[in-house]
Amino acid sequence: MTLVDWVVIAGAAAAIGVVNWYFFIASRGHAKMRHEH
Amino acid sequence: MIDTPIAARESIRIPVTGMTCAACQARVQSALAREPGVSNASVNLMMESAAVTFDPAVTNADRIVAAVRATGYGAELPATDTSPFLEQEARDRSQRTELRVMTSKAIMSFAIGALAMLVPMLTMRSAAFTSALPYLLLVLTASVMAWAGRHFYVNAWNALKHHSADMDTLIAAGTGAAFLYSVVATFAPGFFVSHGVAPNLYYEAVIIIIALVLTGNVFEARAKRSTSTALRSLVELQPVSARVVRGEQEVDVPVASVIPGDVLLVRAGERIPVDGEIVSGASAIDESMLTGESMPVEKGAGDRVIGATINRTGAFRYRATTLGADSTLARIVRLMRDAQSSRAPIQALADRVSEIFVPVVISLSIATFAIWFVAIHLSGALPATAAVRAFAAAVAVLIIACPCAMGLAVPTAVMVATGRGAEYGILIKGGEALQRTGDLTTVVLDKTGTITEGVPTVTDVIVSPGSARDADELLRLVASLESESAHPLAAAIVKHAEARGLVRESIQSSELIVGRGVTGVVGTSALAVGNAALMADWSVSTAPLAVQAGALAGNGKTVVYVTIDGALAGALAIADPIRATSRDAIARLRTMGLAVVMLTGDDERTAQAIARDAGVERVVAGVRPEGKVAEIARLQREGAVVAMVGDGINDAPALAQADIGMAMGGGAAIATEAAEIVLMRSDLTAVTQAIALSRRTMRTMKQNLFWAFIYNVIGIPIAAGVLYPAFGVLLTPVIASAAMAFSSVSVVANSLRLKRARLS
Repeated sequence: MTLVDWVVIAGAAAAIGVVNWYFFIASRGHAKMRHEH
Repeated sequence: MIDTPIAARESIRIPVTGMTCAACQARVQSALAREPGVSNASVNLMMESAAVTFDPAVTNADRIVAAVRATGYGAELPATDTSPFLEQEARDRSQRTELRVMTSKAIMSFAIGALAMLVPMLTMRSAAFTSALPYLLLVLTASVMAWAGRHFYVNAWNALKHHSADMDTLIAAGTGAAFLYSVVATFAPGFFVSHGVAPNLYYEAVIIIIALVLTGNVFEARAKRSTSTALRSLVELQPVSARVVRGEQEVDVPVASVIPGDVLLVRAGERIPVDGEIVSGASAIDESMLTGESMPVEKGAGDRVIGATINRTGAFRYRATTLGADSTLARIVRLMRDAQSSRAPIQALADRVSEIFVPVVISLSIATFAIWFVAIHLSGALPATAAVRAFAAAVAVLIIACPCAMGLAVPTAVMVATGRGAEYGILIKGGEALQRTGDLTTVVLDKTGTITEGVPTVTDVIVSPGSARDADELLRLVASLESESAHPLAAAIVKHAEARGLVRESIQSSELIVGRGVTGVVGTSALAVGNAALMADWSVSTAPLAVQAGALAGNGKTVVYVTIDGALAGALAIADPIRATSRDAIARLRTMGLAVVMLTGDDERTAQAIARDAGVERVVAGVRPEGKVAEIARLQREGAVVAMVGDGINDAPALAQADIGMAMGGGAAIATEAAEIVLMRSDLTAVTQAIALSRRTMRTMKQNLFWAFIYNVIGIPIAAGVLYPAFGVLLTPVIASAAMAFSSVSVVANSLRLKRARLS
């Protein structure tokens, strides 16, 4: 495993994190805000 | 309408455009549910509409439309005061236009895609052309994306803004990634070459993917159209003109200008233009298009006729009653439309899955890229080579995972099944009703008018031994006395006498004795007609007829004794005959594994006799209307899922209490709010057919959901390359998009099989 591999793995993990945060966690806050509004 | 001061509610139906899959639908649905004041919202992808119930004090139609638009979809205020016919025609037109546009987009994309694949092969020899080719393909691909694939990107972007994702997101991400990669390879091929990889272009893949997804959409749109053929054919039944009698003249006028009270003329072979009541003439009328009953029905003066049915034999005049939006046909069309846009509870499963599905798939796609990259890189390939191959697998995962089959699984089945039901004269008010009917364990039948004809008829006339009068004379005198009574038994006697051509005599006097019968003087004879209690009051012994009367009562018949001038002259037996189809239908219900219960207000002995004759196993006799509700509630407490079959007018509370209320009796029953299912035929076989249809439909829905789900469960790992190490199998993005289109089409085709379902 070279540095390139680790960079790809870390990048992928970060991207997966962002996707799930955006669609699940951020969207919940978004919905809640609208609901309270 | 009566205003209710508390919890005022209004319902509107908003046409929503731009929804392409279950996730879109779920998004609009949750946006509406969040809207303050909205108590109920049901969004239907197939009907492209949202049915919303709201509190007008808190919100209004404009705000609800705005809420839908905020999610990125098109919505309009519903046009007011349009007839269901016009509405349906307008939707048909827009569906046709949509289909035409989509078809031409798909064909053009395929043609350009084929060109993009062939041209590089044919021009391989020409060096000048080869260097110009990537730029040419770039322009072609960009135009296809901007024209044919535009809505994928627009929808995906709108969804993204609202933190949600749908199948368009997957397609946009997949094709967008392939396109960007190719653009880099076009402008900086040196970057790839220097890393030892050919600067691969995915332009033709982008075009072909768009073409394939569009093809899938075209098939879907065509299927959508054919799922609503039943509704369309009902709308087409609406006659255009009517022949109105004005003074001495007959004038042809458009149906819309007929007013209630107009007298219309219908000749043999013509379609009856509007609902009404026959004034003169008689005919056999074919009502099969509304009731599913193939035998024409004989009708004469005083009988109701229904607009859109066909007059087969004679000519008649009739007076128009209900028209336009209140007509029977319009009510059926509206009921069907609402039913088709309703949601089955099982749909919630599909919605839930597709909502969480897209982010999960995007995550899987990224993981696929990382795993492939590391695996190929570790096997000794250069990082750039690894990146190219990992990229193809990641795009294939995005493309294959489209959940559109999931979104189509339930609504297509609901639409086809409600349409099929209507052809049998069974109007099912929506997906929930279908699902619950499929789960029934017990069918409760009202006796009068459901198992039986509902019209008492004289079955026997007995003359006392030694009486001077014969049966006809006895009947003639009794009919004369009873002719002024409104009692149903009296009506049966009078009708029977009329049928035998007996002339009634004038009455000198008559007195009604409640709960006993009637007494009076006819001609020169003093009569007492009534039950055993009345005879006892008159000190007349019923003993001479005891054996016969006992036998009749044992068969569920009501015995009416007749005394003439103080001596027992005879007796009449009156019964409500069992419908010809009831026995078979009840036997069929039992073979379907359902418990059959008969409810009746009759006494135990009569009830048992009818039940025995009809083949019903359980009888609850002597129940009053409110007692029916309690009886159904009791069955429900025991864990039964109960259907109540009744006439819809007297049985409304019981129909409402039951899990499924089935109102029998055609036109009038459509208006019955309490019933989930309206049977246009007064025939218990319609009950068996409704249950059989619901069970089939549930089976179809479950198959659809299973296949849609299994398809993704199998397709995604294959696209991700799990089979590659063992078998060398890897899907290209193009094959993945073809497989995806195929899955939607197979689900729709499975639902369409319900169209040919045999129910008897």
